[in-house]
Amino acid sequence: MSRVIKVAQMQLINKWTFMGIPMVILVGSTAITFAIWALLPASAREGTLYSGSGQAVMWYFLALGIQSLTYTFPFSQAMSVSRRTFYLGTLGLFAVFALGYAVLYYLLGLLEQATGGWGFNGQIFALDWIAENNGAIQILFYFVAMVLLFMIGFWAATVYMRWKATGLLIAGIGFAVLVLGLVGLATLNNAWPQVGAWFAGMQVLGLSIVLGCLCVVLAGGSYLTLRRATA
Amino acid sequence: MNNAPAPAIEVRNLRKSYRELDALDGVSLTLEAGRIYGLLGRNGAGKTTLMSILTGQGFPSSGEALIFGHSPYENDEILAKICFIRESQKYPDDFNARQAFKAAALFFANWDQDLADRLVTDFALPMKRSIKKLSRGQLSAVGVIIGMAARAEVTFFDEPYLGLDAVARQIFYDRLLEDFALYPRTIVLSSHLIDEIANLLEHVVVIDKGRIMLDEDAESLRGSAVAVTGSREKVDSFINGHQVLHRDSMGSLASVTIKARLGETERAMAAELGLELSAVPLQQLVVRTTMAGLQNDNNESVEVLK
Repeated sequence: MSRVIKVAQMQLINKWTFMGIPMVILVGSTAITFAIWALLPASAREGTLYSGSGQAVMWYFLALGIQSLTYTFPFSQAMSVSRRTFYLGTLGLFAVFALGYAVLYYLLGLLEQATGGWGFNGQIFALDWIAENNGAIQILFYFVAMVLLFMIGFWAATVYMRWKATGLLIAGIGFAVLVLGLVGLATLNNAWPQVGAWFAGMQVLGLSIVLGCLCVVLAGGSYLTLRRATA
Repeated sequence: MNNAPAPAIEVRNLRKSYRELDALDGVSLTLEAGRIYGLLGRNGAGKTTLMSILTGQGFPSSGEALIFGHSPYENDEILAKICFIRESQKYPDDFNARQAFKAAALFFANWDQDLADRLVTDFALPMKRSIKKLSRGQLSAVGVIIGMAARAEVTFFDEPYLGLDAVARQIFYDRLLEDFALYPRTIVLSSHLIDEIANLLEHVVVIDKGRIMLDEDAESLRGSAVAVTGSREKVDSFINGHQVLHRDSMGSLASVTIKARLGETERAMAAELGLELSAVPLQQLVVRTTMAGLQNDNNESVEVLK
């Protein structure tokens, strides 16, 4: 157990990667959004202003997922850490961070609503369709979204580590075929209205659960792939 | 039940096959704890593959590799006793040497920061420069420092001297012996430069094309051959009946390396004949023995073909 925590400590030796950069992205992207809003002519400022800049940090987590494996896994092997311990320590640390950022997003959302959308009637964090849910569901949604992006990066990096470019290519083609198959299935059965209704009917909680299941599948797949990977 | 302590390293009939070659072809070895071993062989002989499997980093095609009687694969208890920094070790991209040592201090229970600091000064290693910007020699120094300061019960050094200048190499050998005297442990030095590390080694394992060619105590190996120099006729009559490892001749003079342990009478006889007997450097011995082994192999296969 203590070695699992040491893996987390190792990942944090360079604090900049896990703590500094996401903060810079968060503050930077928000400041840029404010600047853009301030520059808008009055006519364009009527009604609510929406921004997707809140996603910026989440996408960094995709890169973090790739980095924390490719940079650190070979080194962890030299530190005589088993694959399982590396996996638990890295994912555990990330889960804690994702939870922290999810709570931060929720709090920023509250602040956003309290300040009349940062004084611009804008929405960055408290997007209507998320903010209309209770706090726990909002936090869950942000958490799942971040973990999902991290897991996609982590799993893709594991596949690369084990099977190199060939593996990544096959996984990519496999995924494309799967999506194509589902699209084809819906088209052939004239099922698009139902599919649309299913998506429309899905609440944030439902979406969180579906994405959460995807996270679990990716986490399991990553572990099984990593078990036989060589640095 | 067998109550003898399990050997530090035990390898049973280990094989590792890639598509086009057998990196390890039925390797068996038993290395007792508390000694310095040389794992010698040419580039591509299988040294790194063997060490990777012994440290749970690589996977064998068949056979067993045990550390203190247990497989190291996914075994944190055993892994905690091992340190193996590979020659081409990768470090996190954003790490400098100080951060790498900080990580090592987390994982190796016997880590000695004072020793690490002293070695950093000895090797004049820049601590704040990112590892990916270090020279080959400085990169080797990072690995050497981790390997030594970790004081792991079983430590592997994979071609540790690459890129190090002569002074730095000597520092490494001196410090290693000093530290080993204070904290005896099992050390495996992989190398293709044999003479340089010959004085450190207590036991020599030579591997070639994935097979063990030689597995012998360094002391007994040093005494196992002798070079006989003198007039050709007298040399020839003297060496009659011994296995010849190597022969050099120039005019009427000959120098022949034979595999033999000479007794008092034989030495006296050599002196009477005016022949000079000299010790054979370890490197020569290893090269000659390995090449003789290869020739035997070839002869056998030729005979099989006939």
